[in-house]
Amino acid sequence: MLLLGLAVVAWVVARARATRLQTAAPKGAMHSLPSYHGWYVALWALLPACLFLAVWTNVMPGLVTGSVLENPAASALPEDSFSRGAILAEARAIAQGKQAAAFNPLAQPLVQPYRDAQSRFATGGVILSLILAFAGAAYAFTRMRTDFRARTRVERLVMGTLLLASLIAIITTVGIVASLLWESLRFFSMVNPIDFLFGTKWSPQSAALGYGNDDAFGAVPLFWGTIFIGAIIAMAVAIPLGLMSAIYLTQYASSTTRKWMKPILEVLAGVPTVVYGYFAALTIAPALRDLAVGVGIHGASSESALAAGLVMGVMIIPFVSSMADDSIAAVPQAMRDGSLAMGATTSETIKRVLIPAALPGVVGGVLLAVSRAIGETMIVVMAAGLAANLTLNPFSSVTTVTTQIVQLLTGDQEFDSAKTLAAFALGLVLFIVTLLLNIVALRVVKKYREAYE
Amino acid sequence: MTTRNPTDWKSDVMRRRIARRYGAERRFRLLGLAAVLVSAGFLAFLLISMVGNGIRGFTRTEILVPIDFSTAPMVVDPATLKGANADQALANAGLPNVTNLAAIAAFGPKGDELLSPNAWLTVRDAIKADPSILGKKETLALPSSTAIDLAAKSKGSPEAEAAYAKLAQANAVSTGFNASFLTASDATDPTQVGIWGAFKGSLLTMLVTLALSFPVGVATALYLEEYAPKTWWTDIIEVSINNLAAVPSIIFGLLGLSIFLNLLDFPRSAALVGGMTLALMTMPVIVIAGRNAIKAVPPSIRDAALGVGASPVQVVFHHVLPLALPGILTGTIIGMARALGETAPLLMIGMRAFIATPPGGVTDPATVLPVQIFLWSDEVSKGFVEKTSAAIIVLLAFLLAMNGLAIYLRNKFEKRW
Repeated sequence: MLLLGLAVVAWVVARARATRLQTAAPKGAMHSLPSYHGWYVALWALLPACLFLAVWTNVMPGLVTGSVLENPAASALPEDSFSRGAILAEARAIAQGKQAAAFNPLAQPLVQPYRDAQSRFATGGVILSLILAFAGAAYAFTRMRTDFRARTRVERLVMGTLLLASLIAIITTVGIVASLLWESLRFFSMVNPIDFLFGTKWSPQSAALGYGNDDAFGAVPLFWGTIFIGAIIAMAVAIPLGLMSAIYLTQYASSTTRKWMKPILEVLAGVPTVVYGYFAALTIAPALRDLAVGVGIHGASSESALAAGLVMGVMIIPFVSSMADDSIAAVPQAMRDGSLAMGATTSETIKRVLIPAALPGVVGGVLLAVSRAIGETMIVVMAAGLAANLTLNPFSSVTTVTTQIVQLLTGDQEFDSAKTLAAFALGLVLFIVTLLLNIVALRVVKKYREAYE
Repeated sequence: MTTRNPTDWKSDVMRRRIARRYGAERRFRLLGLAAVLVSAGFLAFLLISMVGNGIRGFTRTEILVPIDFSTAPMVVDPATLKGANADQALANAGLPNVTNLAAIAAFGPKGDELLSPNAWLTVRDAIKADPSILGKKETLALPSSTAIDLAAKSKGSPEAEAAYAKLAQANAVSTGFNASFLTASDATDPTQVGIWGAFKGSLLTMLVTLALSFPVGVATALYLEEYAPKTWWTDIIEVSINNLAAVPSIIFGLLGLSIFLNLLDFPRSAALVGGMTLALMTMPVIVIAGRNAIKAVPPSIRDAALGVGASPVQVVFHHVLPLALPGILTGTIIGMARALGETAPLLMIGMRAFIATPPGGVTDPATVLPVQIFLWSDEVSKGFVEKTSAAIIVLLAFLLAMNGLAIYLRNKFEKRW
């Protein structure tokens, strides 16, 4: 806060001085506008001090602990580092007011030294950073001349900030890959990757109970459940509905209809998935179970693959529809005109000319939709169930990769068991599959675009 | 040599063929219309069933209980009611007991079970609002228990139905607006739950998300669109942003769990970590929307600014960015709306704890609206069904408002160059 105030003062003072310089100097001799000189000085006041503070807050706990250990009261501490650390942590918690009283009697005498050391180092840090701020501002201030290129320097910093921001995307990607890989490697050191990828029995609970890791982490039922719900049932709903909606809205509907129906369909994509999940579990799933029982299908469960898949398909409709929309719109008008001029009806033109021409785009869109569907979590968590069945019956309960990730990571949290690490291995598989789907889809779409341009 | 006669369009064969083709045309068209209507119908069905279930979540059944404060076994000094400790004083005065005794007196030996365990809070508020009732006999409308509430909404157990019928005959029930649903937090009893805690958690999380993802997203978009040289390095940045936009949200949850919680040791369940995780997810959305908005600013503006002597940084910050800002804001709002509805990554980082007090800051344990909905949907008690739907209504209303704002901004500031 103080530093910010100081920076503002520095900005105002430097700007005023630069303005005086400008009026004094012959016209055109001043390189930078006064406010750039102001920024330059303010940044010099702010940045070194802030950097110092950032380093200081990280170093300070160590310094504080060091000075407390020199205190005579610390000589009573036990030698081994573990219990010593525990007592120090307790004293620190009391000193910072997070804890009311000490459990360990040895911690109590250390509280006061802790408090003293803390306040001493904190004040020291503030004073040092203030000195740095003044020094930085003074250094920048003395450099101010008519021909000083303050703007260039400030702009270089702005560019650096922008570049830094754009690096965050890469850092995130690296972070995802690294964390997934790291935890997965730990998992695969416990469980054979072949067993994981091709085993057909999934029962992490039994592994947690100590029956051994072999044979408990076969993920094939999960992969099948994911594909069954996300790529088969959901697409069976989303592709016909999405494609036909796109065709109707672009080729047949009046502009008023289009204006109203398009946003309405897009709302479907904006509804949170937890709402879909609740809807599937509360309304669709019981209705489907009753239906299945009514027509005499065995093994109908109240958590069915069909319910989750249907609702997920509805969620994907706008996605498929907008992709189809784009790729149909990219078909050259001349092709449509040609077909119509030959006497084909509109539907014949669509079926024989537009769709074949737009097919690569539609396929790319469907692949993207599949990658969305298999990464979808809440609908399947709430509606698809937990039983790892390898079944073709859409009315029975199946489980998916995402459901199991949630299941494995909520509840007890010990990070060394194969059970929790399995979630990261599943996440890695999911990440790789969605990445491949996206890359392939974008390739397909791009290649096709080039063909017509 | 064969001669070809012109096609006889009037022949029966041709007429049949044309009729068949036109029929196919009509059927195809109807199929398309049906697809649109089915999709829209599903949306309508979803909304109607949510509203139908949820509207009752905003109301509560109240039972009119006569309480005779003059004879009630409680001691309250009227002076304490003015001070800040009024709540404490009244709670210590045995108000829960008084309320239960009054209910027993009015409705027989099991009368206290008809009332919500929190009914005395209503009595407390009534006394605070008007201390003069302390010496009188007063009839207050108190919230009923979950069983009675369900019976009033006609799906309770037989005993509760019978009890409710008796109350209704005595003209002792009314339906009131459940204000506590909007002001209370999570609880174990469905009549006492509220969404304020989760709502505040959502607000804090969104604040963190916005504060992190907006500056970074805009800066990245500016860099990539305006300054970045076409090198392999820029390509990597671009590819990773496009990938991040397509990564399933649950993967971000795994990232948050292993980096923020395990590696950096941030507090579990906190809005800070949730906001950071969602910010990573929202940033690519903002970058992509921002790049499109920046691309839409015509090059002539840049050329003109450069022509009068502005530096590249001045061109961007004085001209391009202000012109692109409405588009960037629209994209940001849409990204924030997506983040607001997101559940899975927040489950991963532990924001699913039972939290009965609203969070005070970004490092306090918190939960958010979608996670609260998920938690309530898992509850066994039937009373949670309408509460879940009611919470969904609130969430949807919020999302709709945000999207509406985005559309309004787009229409208001959209410029055709």
